[in-house]
Amino acid sequence: MVSDSSLNHRLTLLFLVLVCLVFCRNLTSIGAAPICTNAQTGCQALSLANLFDRVIQHSARMHGISNDLHSEFEQYFLPSKNQIGRVSRNCHTSTILTPNGKENAQRMAREELTEVILKLLMAWRDPLWRFHQGMAHNHDFNNFSSNKALEMSDMVHELRKGVEKVADKMQMLGIISNSVSSQVSPEALLPSDSAEWHLMRDYDLLYCFRRDSNKVQNYLKILKCRIVPEHGC
Amino acid sequence: VRTSGWDSLEPHFTECISRDQETFRCWWSPGSFHNLSSPGALKVFYLRKVSPVSEWKECPEYIHSKRECFFDVNYTSVWVPYCIQLRGQNNITFDDACFTVENIVRPDPPVSLNWTLLNISPSGLSYDVMVNWEPPPTADVEAGWMRIVYEIQYRERNSTYWEALEVQPHTQKTIYGLHIGKEYEVHIRSRMQAFSKFGEFSDPIFIHVTELYSEETTFPLTFILVFGTLGILILLMLILIFQQQRFMMILLPPVPAPKIKGIDAELLKKGKLDELNLILSGGIGGLHTYAPDFYPDEPWVEFIEVDPEDSAAGEKEDHQGSDTQRLLGLPPPVSLNHHLNIGCSSTISFPDDDSGRASCYGPDVPNQDTLILMAALLPGQAEEEEATLDEVERAPSPEGGESHFVQSQTAGSHTWVNTDFYAQVSNVMPSGGVVLSPGQQLRIQESTLSAEKEMQRKGKEIGACEETGEKKQKGLQFQLLVVDPEGGSYTTESTARQISAAPNSPTPSEGYQTIPPQPADAKPAATAEDNQSPYILPDSPQAPFFAPVGDYTVVQEVDSQHSLLLNPPPNLSPHPCMPQQPLKALPATPVAYVTPDLLGNLSP
Repeated sequence: MVSDSSLNHRLTLLFLVLVCLVFCRNLTSIGAAPICTNAQTGCQALSLANLFDRVIQHSARMHGISNDLHSEFEQYFLPSKNQIGRVSRNCHTSTILTPNGKENAQRMAREELTEVILKLLMAWRDPLWRFHQGMAHNHDFNNFSSNKALEMSDMVHELRKGVEKVADKMQMLGIISNSVSSQVSPEALLPSDSAEWHLMRDYDLLYCFRRDSNKVQNYLKILKCRIVPEHGC
Repeated sequence: VRTSGWDSLEPHFTECISRDQETFRCWWSPGSFHNLSSPGALKVFYLRKVSPVSEWKECPEYIHSKRECFFDVNYTSVWVPYCIQLRGQNNITFDDACFTVENIVRPDPPVSLNWTLLNISPSGLSYDVMVNWEPPPTADVEAGWMRIVYEIQYRERNSTYWEALEVQPHTQKTIYGLHIGKEYEVHIRSRMQAFSKFGEFSDPIFIHVTELYSEETTFPLTFILVFGTLGILILLMLILIFQQQRFMMILLPPVPAPKIKGIDAELLKKGKLDELNLILSGGIGGLHTYAPDFYPDEPWVEFIEVDPEDSAAGEKEDHQGSDTQRLLGLPPPVSLNHHLNIGCSSTISFPDDDSGRASCYGPDVPNQDTLILMAALLPGQAEEEEATLDEVERAPSPEGGESHFVQSQTAGSHTWVNTDFYAQVSNVMPSGGVVLSPGQQLRIQESTLSAEKEMQRKGKEIGACEETGEKKQKGLQFQLLVVDPEGGSYTTESTARQISAAPNSPTPSEGYQTIPPQPADAKPAATAEDNQSPYILPDSPQAPFFAPVGDYTVVQEVDSQHSLLLNPPPNLSPHPCMPQQPLKALPATPVAYVTPDLLGNLSP
């Protein structure tokens, strides 16, 4: 009968609507939306302060690991009595101009500061990878150190991506201009087969990286407290 | 720091510290070279590798009073290696050191420490405190230039051991578990995150909480509540225990069971229909008088009065009355019931002939002659042993009835009544006549010899057991009454007299009834012949004493002489020598039929 079929249709429709409501509510519940990576729709966007907090935490952790590794190496490699010799070593990132003081850093433009951070992170990607490879093959180091080196290498990579996202967000918000480029100046990059690499001992590498990770952490904090000084400044 | 020997100490740098990562200071000591302690004797030179070409410069600012070299903001570069040298006269270098500024940072301690009381434990013995402070003013935390973490330490006033809490970057911290009445000392120090050098401790603050908040009002209240509830519970329990009976009455009122006065509820159970029938049919009138009070503690029990006058009452009666009536066309023999108060103990131990006989007691029969016979036939009451026993004893019969009975038995002719195999004696007339229910056949075979032997045996037993003095010996006599059908189902008077004369004959242990063999002087040959014929001759006027038998009696055994040992319905007195026990009533033949479980017991 017609009435029965229509009733059936209505019932199924009602049932579907109910199911859809239940389901859709689950999908749109709080916290289920993914974080926007690209300009997607339907995703939950993180605030700039949140992004800054994340990258700052990341950089702090990276610096902590580099500190641990450096002090570990210091046990094995007694610092040369000749401190001056230690001073004369040259980190490969010395060519990158970085502010050496608070005022210098504060006086620097946001775009420049962001660029400096990105350059630093970019410059350390390959050396750390090689360092980890060298440690993995060298049986003098225990697994603990080797794992830390690997972690350090990964963190540099992730931190760079994170800072790029922050830069994109800032550019999107109009805080900085679009002149930030993640292109690293060629002089900061050493050729992979450079002889200087092999001269550079692991201890020096760790020393240099420890310093640079501290720089990155500092610059990020300055940037954050200048742009979004809400919490933790 | 270079040391040339233990005894002499060269001038050396003691320490270089930066508080804010924007300036730093270095201190030196002349050591044991006291001649160099004058200001200007020693000089500090530094080298800052900011440019490919670097040169040694002298300390930008001396503070000779402290032997300190101060580098202000202009001369301080972070992340730049520094080297300093302590030189004396003639460029003699006593000491040198290299560092970077971020590695020598020791932040100042926090300022503005204060504490607030968070809460006090319910026991009033410990409390929690929130301590908060301000970051050191020299450290530029707002710009994010310095990221400081703090470490709180506290101790009791008189203790020397400091309790250290975990470092954390926030400017407040909760201290748990401080004791009331004790004074505590708290100080804080700070360091750079991811570095290890702590600054100095702050000035201590003191925490002291006295017992101002002791004995919270809620504390005794909870006690009162708890104890009050417990007390009430105990009281309820006591009331329940001591007034259990009343509570049981209220909560579980007794189910009114059918309570017929004079009848114990036990009879209503399975298997005791015979006794019940007896009561209901025969002895209703006497039940009221002689029935013991079964429910002494239930005064509210209302009994079902089975009115014997009421023809509608007593289903069992109708059964019997109707039969007789049908047979004879007589009115229901109601009046008989008055005179028949039959209470027989119910026990029949079924296969065992000699044990457990119930005894049927004499009712309050005004006519002493017509005694107990009906009781023998009809089911009796199990529990009315005591009362009815007395009645039995009271029911007189001449003591010499035994021999009399025997003689009468032996003297009696072999009278056979042409009745059915089972005949139920419905009623006993006051005159002694017996009313048999029609339609049933009684098959009787007697054996004289066996009966005599039986009597003698019983006599011996009785003699032995009389010494025990059990009352049960005076059991009711079972007798089979053979009714002359021609006589209209009434026995003759003489017969009845004979029957009545033998109630006290001591055959209490008869578990069965032997149709006594016909007296020898009668026709033994006829007996023998008659034994073969299963029928009772109807025309014997002198009906011997036959124990009354119910409508159906169980044929216990067939003798060698073809005498049937009938199992009377549950009117069996227990064995005189056996202790008086209310034996289980056989599910004997109820009034009108043989129950199937008894069929198997019938032995050929």
